[in-house]
Parts: sequence; structure tokens; C-alpha cells
Amino acid sequence: MVDVAMVGAGQTKFGNHPLGLKGMWSEAVEKAFSSVDNDCSPSMVEEAFIGSIAFGGSQLGNTAALLTEHSGMDGVSVRRVENACASSGFALRDAWMTIKSGQADIVVAGGIEKMNDLSAERKRYWLGVSGDTEWERLAGLTFPGTYALTARRYFHEFESTHDDLVHVSVKNHMHGFDNEVAHLRKDVSFEKANSGAMVADPLTLYDCCPTSDGASAVILVADHLAHQFTDTPIWVKGSGAGSDKLALHDRPSLTQLRATQLASQKAYSIANVQPNQIDLAEVHDCFTIAEVLATEDLGFAGRGEGGRFARDGLGRRNEGDVTINASGGLKSKGHPLGATGTGQAVEVFKQLRHQVESPRQVRDAEVGLTHNVGGSGATCAVHIFGRER
Amino acid sequence: MPISKSSSEQAVFASSTYGQQWAGPDGDRLTIALQLLQSEMPSTIQIDSFVDSLEFTPSTPVASIIESTTDWTVSSDGEFHLLASTTSFIVAISKHESIRQWPDLPSTKPVDEQQKTALEEAWMNEIMGVSQGAYVSQSQHMLAMPSRLGLHAQEDASKIVWPPRQLNEQGQRIAPASNRLDNAAKILTWTRLSAVGAPSEFSLRAPLLGGVSTVLVEFSSGPKGVFMLADDEEGQASIDQRVTFEVRRLYGQDNLIHYGLKALLN
Repeated sequence: MVDVAMVGAGQTKFGNHPLGLKGMWSEAVEKAFSSVDNDCSPSMVEEAFIGSIAFGGSQLGNTAALLTEHSGMDGVSVRRVENACASSGFALRDAWMTIKSGQADIVVAGGIEKMNDLSAERKRYWLGVSGDTEWERLAGLTFPGTYALTARRYFHEFESTHDDLVHVSVKNHMHGFDNEVAHLRKDVSFEKANSGAMVADPLTLYDCCPTSDGASAVILVADHLAHQFTDTPIWVKGSGAGSDKLALHDRPSLTQLRATQLASQKAYSIANVQPNQIDLAEVHDCFTIAEVLATEDLGFAGRGEGGRFARDGLGRRNEGDVTINASGGLKSKGHPLGATGTGQAVEVFKQLRHQVESPRQVRDAEVGLTHNVGGSGATCAVHIFGRER
Repeated sequence: MPISKSSSEQAVFASSTYGQQWAGPDGDRLTIALQLLQSEMPSTIQIDSFVDSLEFTPSTPVASIIESTTDWTVSSDGEFHLLASTTSFIVAISKHESIRQWPDLPSTKPVDEQQKTALEEAWMNEIMGVSQGAYVSQSQHMLAMPSRLGLHAQEDASKIVWPPRQLNEQGQRIAPASNRLDNAAKILTWTRLSAVGAPSEFSLRAPLLGGVSTVLVEFSSGPKGVFMLADDEEGQASIDQRVTFEVRRLYGQDNLIHYGLKALLN
């Protein structure tokens, strides 16, 4: 079967972005193509998958066609991929499958979201559209609420306290401090992160990722073309995805994400890689408790050990076996919903090519993983990348 | 919130514990009526004049709400009449078509007049709002009403299923609800959302209430569910604590008021 290589990757800065949808997307595409070592242009793209929730309803229909029209890919077969915050993780998977199946050789996957040009009231509506509308939302829950329910139950079931979440926040802010594309570039002390305003008890402001604008794009090609574009392709060694019940109360466990477990098992199996071989993982820390769960569900820590993993600083850059969220994660780098998944892939692409500016580079990075979750865990896409094919 | 009741020869009367002047932060004549009906021996009842006494139009028919929530049957020639004072928040069940003299029902819980006024204004503004994103339609409310208000549950391969589901893993359609969950459950986890963290449906009232609390509970028969907490001004939820449920106003939108079950700490 065809192997798939990533030969280019680019993104806008995440944050409160001055550009609109067309401007942000074209910037991400421009950066992705300019990152390709040899000649490669948008006109060569055969298929494109663009993840977005179409936040705020601006160009809700045919979003993708509008964006490719404005980024030199006029005429390409394109569609919007929507799986809440995992939209571009699934766009990446769709692109990977398209090449794997032999339907196309050059494919773009990306994502975009514009979230900060809405009124506070409209933003509040749209931040809640991906949860369970009929039962959870009408019980007063938004995502901070569902993750708060998970956190409190996690503390009850395991030897863990909110301090463990504070350690996640401090680490990710430390990692993101030097990341020039990060939304919140500020070093945060334990004391500061432990004294944030309460959002959803027990989660405070420092447990929550920001609401970001942003766009990201990666270029995937079939194996026979990889070295035409670069001497250092990054191979997409495995892709896995899974889903779970939309509402937290319908799931057997409140402290595990089955979608993550299913997705990672598939990805590890296809890549023939074990969790202890991963050098860096960009995990979906929309809330700090989500990173604790991810370290367990992805196999970096045992069941109930995610809190201790954070407490002991095992995910800090170059300190443990695996660096968790070298980019700063969603907590610091930011979370432009539809753009987050391929944004994670952009980081891994640069890290594995050893092109990240010091001190952010993960030492001797050979194998990387991205973990992109939709909502409170209804969907998840996991990808494993390597310098070796 | 337990209701205050009194009886006379002509009727059984009820008000909220705030007395006749207020039905509480998320109460109204209908929520009081439902509790009164639940506390009396079920029979048949006429509700025409009662429906006219409601401040806002419910998103689902009052008769359906009553029959989903209680064992009473609404009928145009019912044995009893459900009646409400239009000048106070007193509700009555009577064999007569009207009440000659409404009683005085004193409050057993102090009313914060400032909060009462602010909440009344918030409800008024909220109900005039329209959805700007995700919303639950009137027909969805209607379809789910027996489950939402009456805890009606399905059964699939000896397993109790709630909220309602369509197909099982064998692709077979799960039969319509044939069970009813207990009106009590155990808290597995809980949170209190600040006004900032609350969904937009509650954005006007949440600041006045200091946020909104939600509990995720497990029923003894297995299903789990999430509910807003009501009347928790003086208590905080805890894991393993028991709750019971009452119908309250959930939110207002598109000129309709939506009702649902809320959890009360025991």
C-alpha cells in the first residue's frame, strides 16, 4: 500500500487575528507551500480537506470552496470536514486515506476558525454547539462544565488533586512562552495558575484554553513523490480515529476517553509503534484535566497515574521519556477549534525536521504523535509521524 | 422546594414556600400545580382556566406536561378543576369551577425583593430572545417530554435505557418507554459554573444566582443523567449525595417557556 509523507506545513499565529477567513487561510497555505524544500504549488493539489465548525455562522455552507478559491486551488475537489474541535484531525485522516487508497497523490489538509469577531453573546452560543444540545446544554453545561464534572470525578477516584492540573497549566505555558505562533505567550507560576478565577468548579481560568482565531495547513504526498519535494519528508506512519457517546452521562466511564483509546490503538497498530517510542506528543488539552486523561488513554501513564505524571513533570520538554505539548498545547498555543488538529501536525512536522528554534526543539525527536479530540470526547483522531518511513 | 398547602371545604390550595407573592427563582403556577397534583390522589381534571392564568406559553401543551409528570388524566369533563389565582401564586384543586375566596398563604422562606424583581425582569427579557446558535426545537421538546419530565425509560435486553435511544447494537429498534425511573438518584460528580461559564440560555439569570450548578447522577436502575440543581442557595452538592427531582422552568426562548426536571439536594 502507498505510504504517505508530509512535505510541507504552515500556520498563522493563533490568537486574536486581524485577518478574516480568506486572509488567514491563504496565509497558512502560503506558509505550508513555502516550507516545501523544492518547487510545489497550490495548482498541483488534487484534493483538499478543510476542518472547521464555521464558528459564528459566517459562510456556513461551502466554506471550503471559498477558501480554496482564495488560495490558488481553484477547481480542486474540496470539502469542509466537521467534527467539532477534532475537525482538522479528521481532515488530516481523510487526506491520508485518500492517498493511501490511491485516489490522489498530492492532498492538502487544514483547518480554520475565526472566533473573536463575534459579540460575547453569539460567541457563547457557538462555543456550546458541539456538546449534547438536548440534555447537557439544557442542564446548564458547556465544555468547561463537562470537563469540570470529569475533573471532580477523577479526583474522587484517584489520588489526585487540582494541584496536578496546575502543573499541566504551568508546563504548557512554559512550553508556549517561546513559541512565536502561540496565543498566550506568558510564563505562569504555580501560585498564579493556582489562583485563577473559578470558571466551572473545580476548573479555573488557568485550566481553560483560550478562544483563538487561526488557520493551519499541511501538504501530504504519496511515497513516490516525497523525495521530489524534499530530502526530509515526515512520514505519516499511522492514523486512527474513534468515537464515543456524545453526552458524558451516556459513557460507562467518566474518567476515560474511549474515543482516544480506540483512535490511538489503531494508530499505534498501523504505525507499528509503542507509546514508549513517542518522543513528543501534541495532545488535546482544551482543559488541563483533558491532558491528564490523554496521558493515560494514549499509554504514557497507567490508569489513574496521569495526575502523578503531571505532578512529577514527566511531560516537560526534554525531561521525561516524552515531551507533552512542546508547542504549549491548546492551553498556551491556543485553540482555534477547526484549525487545532492540523496545527498540531505543523508543530510535529517542524520538531521532527529539527527546525524548531531553540530552546523549543525536542532533543533527538524521531517519532511524534498528535491527538485531536472533538468536544468532550465524542470524536478523536490520532496520528503518528516519523522521520523514518 | 416543598410547597405550602392548606385545605378548605371547596379546595386544596398550594403555594411555594415563598408564599403567595412569588413562585421562586425558577417556579411558576404550573410548577406549583404539578407538585400539588403529585401530592394528591390521582383522578381526572379540567385545566382550561388554569392554562389562561400562566404568564408565559409553555413550549409543550400543559395537558401533556401534567400527564407526563403525574398520574392525573386531563379531561374536559374531569372530576376536578385545576385553578389558579391571577393575582397571586396560589394554585388549587377543586370540584368547583372557581374559587370564591383565595386564602392567604404565608411564606416560610424569606423573599429577597431585589432578587425577585431582577429575576422576573430576566425571565421577561430571556423569553423574548431568539436562538443564535444551537437550540432545541419545540417539536424536540415535545418528543422528549415523557423522558425529560416524567423519567420514562426504555428497556433493551433487560437493561434500562434513558435518555431515549433509537437502535441497539444489533440494529434493532428499541421499544418505546415502558418503565419509569425512580424519582431519586445518587450524585457521581458535580460542578458549579460561574456566570461566565454558563450556556447562553442562562446568561441573564446566572449572574443573579451566583452561577448555576449541575449534577451528574446515577439512578439505581443504571442510567445516568445530568440535571441543573435547584434551591441550592444554602447547600453544596457532594459526591454520593442523594437527590430527588422536580419540574421547574428551564429557560425561555422564542416567546416560549421550557420546563424540565431539576435536582434537589436531600
